[in-house]
Amino acid sequence: MKKELIRLENVSKSYDGELILDDLSLTIHENEFVTLLGPSGCGKTTTLRIIGGFETPDKGRVIFDGEDITSLAPNKRQLNTVFQKYALFTHMDVAENIAFGLKIKNKPQDYIEDRINYALKLVNLSGYEHRMPGSLSGGQQQRVAIARAIVNEPKVLLLDEPLGALDLKLRQDMQYELIRLKEELGITFIYVTHDQEEALTMSDHIVVMNQGYIQQEGSPEDIYNEPENAFVADFIGDSNIIKATMVRDELVNILDTDFICVDKGFGENTPVDVVIRPEDVELVERGEGTLPGRVSHVIFKGVHYEMEVQAGGYAWLVHSTRLYETGKEVDIKVDPFNIQVMNKPESEDEEVLSVDD
Amino acid sequence: MRTKLEKIYMGIIFVFMYAPILTLIILSFNSSKSRARWGGFTLQWYINLINDNSVLNAMANTLIIALVSTVFATVIGTLTCVGLMGLKRRSRTVIMGITNIPMINADIVTGISLMLLFKVLHFETGFITVLLAHITFNIPYVMLSVMPRMKTINPNIYEAALDLGAEPFYAFRKSVLPDLMPSVIAGALMAFTMSIDDFIITYFTKGSGFDTISTKIYNEVKRGIQPEIYALSSIIFVIVLILLFASSRLRQRQAVLKKDAALYKVEKKMSRGKLVLISAASMGIILLAMYFGGVFTRKSNQLFVYNAGEYIDPEVIEMFEAETGIEVVYDEFETPEIMYAKMVQNDGAYDVICPSDYMIEKMLDAGMLQELDPDAIPNRKYIGEQYLKAADSFDPGNRYSVPYCWGTVGILYNTNMVDDPVTSWDILWDEKYSGQILMQDSIRDAFTVALKRNGYSLNSTDPAELEKAAEDMIAQRPLVQAYVVDQARDKMIGGEAALAVIYSGEVLYTQRENPDLEYSVPDEGTNVWIDAWVVTKKARNPEAAMKWIDFLCRPEIALMNFDFITYSTPNEAAREMIEDEDIRNSEAIFPDESILKKCETMSYLGEEGDALYNEMWKKVKSGN
Repeated sequence: MKKELIRLENVSKSYDGELILDDLSLTIHENEFVTLLGPSGCGKTTTLRIIGGFETPDKGRVIFDGEDITSLAPNKRQLNTVFQKYALFTHMDVAENIAFGLKIKNKPQDYIEDRINYALKLVNLSGYEHRMPGSLSGGQQQRVAIARAIVNEPKVLLLDEPLGALDLKLRQDMQYELIRLKEELGITFIYVTHDQEEALTMSDHIVVMNQGYIQQEGSPEDIYNEPENAFVADFIGDSNIIKATMVRDELVNILDTDFICVDKGFGENTPVDVVIRPEDVELVERGEGTLPGRVSHVIFKGVHYEMEVQAGGYAWLVHSTRLYETGKEVDIKVDPFNIQVMNKPESEDEEVLSVDD
Repeated sequence: MRTKLEKIYMGIIFVFMYAPILTLIILSFNSSKSRARWGGFTLQWYINLINDNSVLNAMANTLIIALVSTVFATVIGTLTCVGLMGLKRRSRTVIMGITNIPMINADIVTGISLMLLFKVLHFETGFITVLLAHITFNIPYVMLSVMPRMKTINPNIYEAALDLGAEPFYAFRKSVLPDLMPSVIAGALMAFTMSIDDFIITYFTKGSGFDTISTKIYNEVKRGIQPEIYALSSIIFVIVLILLFASSRLRQRQAVLKKDAALYKVEKKMSRGKLVLISAASMGIILLAMYFGGVFTRKSNQLFVYNAGEYIDPEVIEMFEAETGIEVVYDEFETPEIMYAKMVQNDGAYDVICPSDYMIEKMLDAGMLQELDPDAIPNRKYIGEQYLKAADSFDPGNRYSVPYCWGTVGILYNTNMVDDPVTSWDILWDEKYSGQILMQDSIRDAFTVALKRNGYSLNSTDPAELEKAAEDMIAQRPLVQAYVVDQARDKMIGGEAALAVIYSGEVLYTQRENPDLEYSVPDEGTNVWIDAWVVTKKARNPEAAMKWIDFLCRPEIALMNFDFITYSTPNEAAREMIEDEDIRNSEAIFPDESILKKCETMSYLGEEGDALYNEMWKKVKSGN
């Protein structure tokens, strides 16, 4: 088991009477890439700011390396933050920006220069020492911000949607760079994003949040394959989320058709939700599958075709490398392992998010 | 065609905007005192300005007030903006609205409110109150400049600095402040300009003996504009112009910066912002040195003198200061009525005053004066017996006053413009001279003319007689070019009017400037007036006040003042020392007994009499 580094204990925070975090507890381990994932307003940034010391929780404690740092000022914490909009000092050049923290700590000049060179090499910006931030691209500025943070050798690097302002290609490049950086530095990254793909790509551990609550945490695979509720299922990738009835253990009735599944313990004739990922829906010739339907829409996506199939009164989303043309009569077939059965939402925050973020 | 029209239109606009200032600047180099005549190029007025201590003092005051208030207002205003950012948008808007009120509010309301506040809090008005007032009205200007910039600043910048280990103040100074700096400097320049520019608020919050350039100019203007004022105004215009250029250049550079960050790097080492700051700072240091240099050589011994405008040779004040070590704080009043109002407001403001006869009577009546110590004023023996006797009418026994100047009120006329003999006040009612007549804008002097014309006493309190006098003056109004006080002199020199009611003391000076002018005392008789020095009851330094009066009674000093003021001196020894025989025996300056017999001194009419005159005067001034 990895060593625990940060622990939030029953943290609550509200602004103007609006509850942002409600009794949130979270443990983060050493050398982990943790992502706080959720739609805007879910409390992920507030959680990060509480860890960074820019907000003080109304209730609860923040434990860092065994010490209570709940009310410690941000400049006294052994962590550094990379902000969404870079927050570079525009009147200082790149080297001065990076040296800022080191100068405060009164490090010797040659040490500072070494660190600047090291950090710039790490973020692939060698030779940019005397450029002004205003003359750099967004991706370069963000890398300067990262370099500025990591020269201080923090135990934890907090990243608040650092790639949010970048375009798609750049964002993907930066994702790999961040993974590489994290491995080279061997420190903990706490990363905030609303982009599920980003979270799945980079994280060791994902914390899915909504309306101030943690909905689910686990490895990217756990989160993706076994969402615990409709919100998580919906938020992590496109999904078919369908109302169903658990007939008995290992048998679920979906749209008046019985499907064999692997889930147990829901009781008999219990209303549930099932999640079936679009790539897990198999289309076969009529008579070979479980549920008959008709292809109503096809889009070519490059890697696969995205098809909409009307079957049993529900529009199924299907990803397949094999094309079935619009109007084609097909059958739907789902492997029992790929049917994820979930309890009905118990509260609003577990429901499907109607508006995509 | 169209662009040509546009250019002409632009040209016209520029002429309208800048022609007045251009005129002013040209006149500041005109060697002739007259506005109407070009006498050749001169720097004399600028030189006079530099040699005029009171103007230099006012200039120093203005700049010190402007600098210090700018520094305070900039710091407070910027910090307020920082604080406001922590508030919610709605409360921020409300507070911004409130802080903007002083800027929108009429200056006169702000000025009076501040004056009242200082009074209630028992602040002594002077440097500190003016400074506080300027800080107060400058803060909104700084905020107005800083706030928009503040809103564009990413708050994460400050947090990033904290995050990197900076203490809060250091973090602010290193992260937010540099981004804010252009707007802070622009705000500071704005505040500086506003402070230099302000008159109304300064006027209400300044005490006696303290002047900034604007209040100084106002005092001067009341007494007729001197060319030195053109020079001074030109200098102020140029200073303000430079500041405006600096601030707009600063903003321009900021705009360029956004586009070209590389340029920023080049200019960073010696930015114009820094240059402006450095030059402002060095200017400030020089001024402070000037100011404190002055302060430290001063003696704690001060004498507050209140005198009519241009009623002493400035050199006399310096000689007095040098000889006695007493520092003279010298203020001037426009009319005796204004002086009296000021005394009612604050009867301890001045130690020694030079009012006119009837005013002395009134002040005696109000218990404002203290008896003079004859042993402290041995030089009083040089004052002619006949003048002391005349003064007896308002100061029985000459216990409270020592005559300083005297003269008659008569008609000054331009012989090129008036061909009738000037022997009667009636000529001021002659329609032939419509629009060329100048009347005195002073109640008693104006009524003297109308009452004497009708054969009444100039001290009449008979309502019927006053009614008649007022009616006459209302009838005369269409003929009158203007009611003026000291400007009569300059207008007559410039040939702007044909006839003016004037004090005999002005005659010598005006004739020197314009030989076509003659002076006449009408046959109906007139007022013979005496101005005399008195010491106030609440004087803080009565010993110095007595020394002052004694000093002025020295024959050589009285002669200096006579040469400067050119009003008749009651100092017989001084008159004997006048070298120019024409002057020594001039009938206008030293009229002979036959003329004097037709004249009366003014006496105090009592509260009721004053009220009656005031009421009638209002009628005259409003024309019904």
